[in-house]
Amino acid sequence: MTDTRHDYDALARLYLPIAAAVVLLVLLLVVAFAWRYRARPAQEGRPSRVSSAPRTEALYVLVLVAVAALLLWRTFTVEARTDRGVTGAGVQVDVTAAKWHWRFEYPRAGIVQRGTDEHPPTLVVPAGRPVDFSLRALDVIHAFWIPERRFKRDATPGYTSRFSLVFPRAGFWRDGGECSEFCGLRHAWMRFHVRVLPPDAFARWVRARRSGAAA
Amino acid sequence: MTAVDAPRTRVAPPRRGLVGTLASTDHKALGAGLFATAFAFFLAAGVLALLMRFELARPHLQLLTLHGYDELFTLHGSTMFYLFATPIALAAGVYLVPLQIGAARLRWARLALAAWWMTIGGGLTMWLGFLTEQGAADVGWYAYWPLSDMPSSPSVGTDYWIVGVLLAAAAAIALAACVLATIVTERAPGMTMLRLPVFCWTMVVSCLMVLTAFPALIVAMGLLLAQRQWGGVYSGSAGAFDYQHLFWFFGHPVVYVVFFPFLGAVAEAIATFSGRRWFGYKPFVVSLLLFAALSMSVWGHHMFTTSAVENRYFSLTSTALLVPAGVEYFDALATMWRGRIRLATPMLFALGFLVLFAIGGTTGIWVASPPLDYHVTDSYFVVAHFHYTLFGGSVMGLFTAIYLWWPKVTGTLLSERLGRWHFWLTMIGMNLTFFPLFFLGWDGMPRRVADYAPGTSWSTLNALSSAGSALLAASVLVFLWNVRRSWRRRAPAGPDPWGGQTLEWATDSPPPRENFTGALPAVRSFAPLQDLREAAEASA
Repeated sequence: MTDTRHDYDALARLYLPIAAAVVLLVLLLVVAFAWRYRARPAQEGRPSRVSSAPRTEALYVLVLVAVAALLLWRTFTVEARTDRGVTGAGVQVDVTAAKWHWRFEYPRAGIVQRGTDEHPPTLVVPAGRPVDFSLRALDVIHAFWIPERRFKRDATPGYTSRFSLVFPRAGFWRDGGECSEFCGLRHAWMRFHVRVLPPDAFARWVRARRSGAAA
Repeated sequence: MTAVDAPRTRVAPPRRGLVGTLASTDHKALGAGLFATAFAFFLAAGVLALLMRFELARPHLQLLTLHGYDELFTLHGSTMFYLFATPIALAAGVYLVPLQIGAARLRWARLALAAWWMTIGGGLTMWLGFLTEQGAADVGWYAYWPLSDMPSSPSVGTDYWIVGVLLAAAAAIALAACVLATIVTERAPGMTMLRLPVFCWTMVVSCLMVLTAFPALIVAMGLLLAQRQWGGVYSGSAGAFDYQHLFWFFGHPVVYVVFFPFLGAVAEAIATFSGRRWFGYKPFVVSLLLFAALSMSVWGHHMFTTSAVENRYFSLTSTALLVPAGVEYFDALATMWRGRIRLATPMLFALGFLVLFAIGGTTGIWVASPPLDYHVTDSYFVVAHFHYTLFGGSVMGLFTAIYLWWPKVTGTLLSERLGRWHFWLTMIGMNLTFFPLFFLGWDGMPRRVADYAPGTSWSTLNALSSAGSALLAASVLVFLWNVRRSWRRRAPAGPDPWGGQTLEWATDSPPPRENFTGALPAVRSFAPLQDLREAAEASA
């Protein structure tokens, strides 16, 4: 199980400089050529008649193929590591999305986190340990997005999606989770908070919630 | 110099008045009418975008209701794709292809005429939803099932919308068939497929994609209408995934359908204003065909987060697109190399296209990587990405085409001074509107929300974007002013004001009813007029 934010940001650090370099190169060449080869009055000579360079272009295509291969290799490596499926060893959280609320159920502990229209629920997870999610939707397609984890997965009615995430840092993220698939009127307000607790604090939270539920 | 006779085809004399305009089978009247219709929808959808940007300029709801906002983004996206970008790309083909290949007519012109009416009818049907009690469609331009089914979206406006999409899609298929048939059967003597002008090749691949992709849209929408009325079509998760497959099998190629013809216009402009023929013609044609073929196999990248597709396959095909796209950039820059460059307005827009589309294209490769796409899909990052391809690419290319061919179509000149104002306002407004959206999306703002939390960087970024949209509106007003000015002054353009390279510049502006009256220049390459110019220089 890996840290999605860490892995995906590392991948982005490969893509971003390449993208930026390509854009800057295009900008530079466009401006340079437009200046260098601008038409001047009383100009000597004619524009070049050369209109093909098969060998150069073939070599250039090889470079493009190499870039595509590099990007795909890194992408596939990262994806193989993070999409390995559920660990089965972590804290189990069943997520249910329905217009326009999230519900988090911890089946082993018998805890359910619900919200109201005014107060979204809080997803509480332990820091540094895998969390095995099982995600489903009751009515239309929603999507479970935690921007801080750089991770998103669709919740499709009739289909249960399973994945594991790790939350390395303890903390509280207000509105740290969102629905990102348009799902109707209150889509903009379909949120949840994320609270990541150190493992012992998480255990205490589970005990407190259980006794609270029993009382 | 040898010459061949202009093709002799009997054509009906033009009729006048409104009936004459709406019933003309002259491909020029038809192309111009369809073009004007699509441009009117561009302005209308642009107004919807301005309303949305006004709402988003500050957090909370000021101008719109939640439901009103949903109607606006649905009609904005749908109008832009179905009623503006696709018809206007095909309209350019209807007008220009016969002229570029030295033909007197469009093949199956009455079918194309019916398609124009269907586009108008489809557009009005879609927009009539605003007059119904529950408003226009509110399900987004891709109308995912089950959200678009009756229980979630019972408004009759959504049914109107589906019928409108069906009409517009059928019209697109008919128009693509006409343009493609014209290219296949009506070429002047000597014009082999490998002497087809660059713009015509881009129309070939666009039409092929329309003919292969749009039927899937008709199926998706027809079934959606049946599902809404009678049920029993889509069900369970399989129904949800099937709908997405059908939709994106159309929905991805369509973005290239509305891109390639404008790439063709940009290529013609760069060649013309560099005083050189287009560089690397054959690799370019191969890359277009490869691009079109690959584009039919990338649709699943819209579904990376569904768990229902093989992500690596679609990542492979989508990333591979950088190869043909890279070839096209190489050819564009190599055409400028050692040219004699005139920075007239069409060239400015063509160069703007190259720079802005580079941003859209590289971020496209970014979202072709599933782990990177997980974060940014359905966020403002993706909104920024596709507006750099559709506005930075297609719309910049559209204005390249308009400034390039305006003298040919109207016989009058547009103001270069106003054209430069239009260009720079567009460049600044475009970047100010869409660049902040990359940061918003990366920072977690989902698309299709009318409201966001106050007191964050989101307020500043949204305000910047909204300010940019006002500049874009101003740029379009400058353009409309330029059109009005040209209409009034009627400065004669002459047959070939730019030093064009293809056959349309060898006839009057505007061209006569039968397109060419005298003999056509001999066609020995894809740039016959450039051949003549170079031969004259050689003998001088």
